Amino acid sequence: MTPDRLELSVVVPVFNEQDNVEILFNEIAEVLRGVSVRWELIFVDDGSTDATFARLRALRGADPRVRVIRFRRNFGQTPAMQAGFDAASGDVVVTMDGDLQNDPRDIPRLLDGIRAGHDFVIGWRKDRKDKLFTRKIPSWLANRLIARITKIPIHDNGCSLKAYRREVVQRTQLYGEMHRFIPAMMSLSGCTFREIVVHHRARRFGSSKYGLSRTLKVLSDLLLVKVLTGFTTRPALWFGLTSVPFFVLSALFLARSAYDYAVAPLEETVSIVFPTTALLFAAAFANLLLLGMVAELVVWSGDYRESESILPAADVMEKLN
Amino acid sequence: MTESAATAAPEVSVIVPISERYGDLEAIFREFGGELTRMGASFEFVFVVDGSQRACLPALRRLRDAHAGAVRVFVLGKSFGEAATLAVGIERATGATVVTLPSYFQVGPEGLRESFRILADGGADVVIGKRHPRQDAFVNRAQAAVFHWLAGRATGTHFADVSCGFRVMRRAVADELTLYGDLHRFIPVMAVNRGLVVQEVALPQRAEDRPSRYAGVGIYLRRLLDLLTVFFLIKFTRKPLRFFGLLGSVAFGLGAIITIYLGIYRILGFGGISGRPLLVLGALLLVLGVQCVSLGLLGEIIIFTHARRVSEYRVAEIL
Repeated sequence: MTPDRLELSVVVPVFNEQDNVEILFNEIAEVLRGVSVRWELIFVDDGSTDATFARLRALRGADPRVRVIRFRRNFGQTPAMQAGFDAASGDVVVTMDGDLQNDPRDIPRLLDGIRAGHDFVIGWRKDRKDKLFTRKIPSWLANRLIARITKIPIHDNGCSLKAYRREVVQRTQLYGEMHRFIPAMMSLSGCTFREIVVHHRARRFGSSKYGLSRTLKVLSDLLLVKVLTGFTTRPALWFGLTSVPFFVLSALFLARSAYDYAVAPLEETVSIVFPTTALLFAAAFANLLLLGMVAELVVWSGDYRESESILPAADVMEKLN
Repeated sequence: MTESAATAAPEVSVIVPISERYGDLEAIFREFGGELTRMGASFEFVFVVDGSQRACLPALRRLRDAHAGAVRVFVLGKSFGEAATLAVGIERATGATVVTLPSYFQVGPEGLRESFRILADGGADVVIGKRHPRQDAFVNRAQAAVFHWLAGRATGTHFADVSCGFRVMRRAVADELTLYGDLHRFIPVMAVNRGLVVQEVALPQRAEDRPSRYAGVGIYLRRLLDLLTVFFLIKFTRKPLRFFGLLGSVAFGLGAIITIYLGIYRILGFGGISGRPLLVLGALLLVLGVQCVSLGLLGEIIIFTHARRVSEYRVAEIL
């Protein structure tokens, strides 16, 4: 097979990056000229309010390999990525930031990783050019925690420069602010990946859209991902397990109140605090069990299938090599 | 009217949902239809009658007989409410531009020309009427002001008259609005949430709109619940656990503090707790917290497993 058959889609979400899009396009075109692949560059304009879209229109007019998707308003980076994935037609999808901090010269090395048979390749900004206290330290902490919780040793979950086999992204549906966990979620479902060190450049134009408060959100989202992947595969079991403490508490209080009633003399009243508490806990126990069943119904009627997310790599490998 | 003219799709569909009260429907047809004729637009009127308002049918029959082809009437089998009648109207409308009208005169037809111009210029995707100057009684105006202030706070939008029944939009935009329950009151808010541009056009309020505004406790309660629904739909449909989780953790945290306090009290031997109603409160809060969080989790599972069916973004343009 000639290597020409490999098609590459580069997905770049942009939000108010008017000074960067043109440079980025030129850099990518320059890099890919040296690689014998057919490529397309998909810009997703996430509701920019500056001249970004006008510049993109001009780029599109000048080069048909550029495609532009414009959102009606700012929906966020995750939906923008998803829109890019939905539109991508290449065998390999590369994502990167629109702020020029990622270096397109790393793309060929990402492609080599895919060619070597990995489901996705992620960038690691080992030498980050960002502010130390608001960006680097929180990010380092978050990555340590993510690695701890998912037990997947990824150094840099936040790096946008990644390459995926298309089949992998097509099976993934992103929502909320999940794009950060694509690697973690994918490897939880059995995909293989490689991490490569990529260049990172300081911002030249425009301003950063991230801050410290993001890190906290990221962490809560991460816990959610972890819980969701567990709960969604066996909801009744997990809701059932959550209900056990309430069952135990209820039983304890019930036993205690039964004892109180048994030993109390007939004419004396017994305080209802313990029986009431027992009943409350019993209600919680019953409710959780029932919710587990509803959850089972929800999962059954939904599209999430664990077995589907583990992908056969053979067919794509053949095409790539 | 010739056969071909009757069957060709008109340019404008005027939808009149009749679900709560109605005024002189023939006059509505005459005034708005007359204005559309003067504007040189071909039109159809789609009257959708809720099951509870069948009394207006004779008038509509007369109208239909007098203007064959320009008047279509649909009757719902039973009472489904305003949102459903409106949805049926949008579904049946054949025109490229959709105008919705209240079933009584809130505003006159003079705003049509400007609304069409705004749509044509691309200045907005949805044009809604804003009754101004208002002729209502002071109580009604105060009540509307409170409602709009609350709605603005809850949804982050600023509309002066969000529930005005006069709306003009293109067909594709109308199709996109999913209406159920009482959500028709918040069409502009939902449209903004989908990234559509909504513009209000000031129209003088008609005298017919003034009388018979009912307001009871039940109505206020329903409006508040509607607001809560819209607030949730806009802010948390994609992250239900954030909403429920916050409520739940507050309750659970309070419950935990109370029970831990009582536990220490008991273990350190300050006295028995079998007579302390505080324990019931603590247990109740714990239970409430867990229920809230687990419901949020269930919501999150629903989104997680059905994410492929609901697209989160709206595309304006593809080059």
